[in-house]
Amino acid sequence: MDPYFYLVIVAGLIAGASTGLLGVYIVGMRIPFIGICISHAAMAGTIYGSFLVFANPTLTAICPALGGIIASVIAALSLAGIRPEKSRLDTNVGLAIVFCLMLGLTFLGIGLNQASRSEMLGLLWGNILFTDRAGTITIAAMAAVLAIFCALFNKELKVLLFSRSIAAATGVHAGFVYGLFLVLCGIILAVNLPLIGGLMIFSIITCPAAAAYQICTAHRSVVIAATIFGMLSALIGFIASFYLDLPTGACIVLVSAGIFALAALYRLLLNRAD
Amino acid sequence: MMEGCLSLSGVKVRRGGRIILDVESLQIPSGAFVGIIGTNGAGKTTLLKVCCALCRPNRGTVEFAGENLARLSPWSRSNLRKRVGYIPQTVEYNCELPFTVREVVAMGRISVRPLLSRLSGADYEIVDNWIERLGLGGLRGQTFRSLSGGEQQKVLVARAMAQTPAVLMLDEPCANLDFNWKYQITEIVERLYHETGVTILLVSHDTSLLPPACSRIVLLHKGRILADGDIDSVFASEALQVAYDCRIETLNVGGRRYIVNKNQASGS
Repeated sequence: MDPYFYLVIVAGLIAGASTGLLGVYIVGMRIPFIGICISHAAMAGTIYGSFLVFANPTLTAICPALGGIIASVIAALSLAGIRPEKSRLDTNVGLAIVFCLMLGLTFLGIGLNQASRSEMLGLLWGNILFTDRAGTITIAAMAAVLAIFCALFNKELKVLLFSRSIAAATGVHAGFVYGLFLVLCGIILAVNLPLIGGLMIFSIITCPAAAAYQICTAHRSVVIAATIFGMLSALIGFIASFYLDLPTGACIVLVSAGIFALAALYRLLLNRAD
Repeated sequence: MMEGCLSLSGVKVRRGGRIILDVESLQIPSGAFVGIIGTNGAGKTTLLKVCCALCRPNRGTVEFAGENLARLSPWSRSNLRKRVGYIPQTVEYNCELPFTVREVVAMGRISVRPLLSRLSGADYEIVDNWIERLGLGGLRGQTFRSLSGGEQQKVLVARAMAQTPAVLMLDEPCANLDFNWKYQITEIVERLYHETGVTILLVSHDTSLLPPACSRIVLLHKGRILADGDIDSVFASEALQVAYDCRIETLNVGGRRYIVNKNQASGS
């Protein structure tokens, strides 16, 4: 196998691990829509960032990615500012509004950018084969930051997972930790966007974590299982796409959905046995 | 002012153009056991939320242990809540998550530990101590979601007490529980009061849930304090009849007060 494919596999494994880990908290806090919402913000940012590249080609290396990160962080911060108890705005409604806004901006950007429309549309689906060494290092660095964040704030994240209102009522600095988590979430989704795509990333965040919650009986095992399921989704999806000559992103999504289906079946059988 | 003391003056909370809380003055000294009663919509929950800085009043001053809550930064308000064991009336607990009883009780310690620190052996000693004291030893390793409503409520009381709070605020802690569990939970709260001397604010629309240790009653009606005093004087006053808008007879059974609608009683 070409050494490039090893790089692709490594990038896929790291992306799968970090999105799987993110999913533990996103699914646990019941805000799975946040994945697609922030990833669309990243897409919009990347597209508008690429406009600067047309104006100044020397910015090719940084502008699209930086635009994606800035837009997703702004989206994450605006989502963190939603306080259902104060604003009469449910978190999911807030997510839907930000999502619609970002979707509108994304397609407006694609419409304005006639020259590379297919490339822009590629951000919706992503392509793991577009990865390179620098991109893989960036993804790995952000995955490490996420792992460190989860380890450092593990106890606060646990209370947030259990109940955000309990966390707020008992002085866990819930707003600070939640805001920090969303910002990190935005950056990770933005750096993984070219690989997994704005639409696909929703699946790889949700399915591995949801599968882990089906079969695990302790928080720690949920974290480990979701990370492994995320990696497996990326690995099996990539291998399947390579040998069957199918789109990589679609294969990864189907594998992650398959893992969830197996976990749900296991839970069903376990419940029947009880 | 002593630790755990609460002081409200000229507090008004307005929502949707309507005043839902209007408290001229309320002082809660340290070590008091105060029952807050009233009909639905009387402002009981809002009063509790104002006291623990979860709801900011439109007017007035709220002081907790001598600190004016309005002057505190969000970070400082959050720190202040570490000293309040608050059990909300309705909370969306994520019961799908596999947290064990010990983990949920340990969340009480999490809130008092600084960010970026881990729970120590001493923290877990406190956690295990409260698990035992509330008779949850046998359930320690079970998941929270597998417990009955009464057992879950016990775990939440243990979680609040593991915070070693200066004030314990309970908002309808016996809602949706059968009479036996209601009795058990209020017995536990009373025992905690005698054993620890913690200041307790207990909100209940059901007066029979106020244990004999509850020496002071605050009766709310349409957001205002209609009566505030010892249990005998409040239950003997006309205020109760005004609040419930009917002729009332009160019964004392083992130190617990039951309210009976006289019209219904004579009708049957």
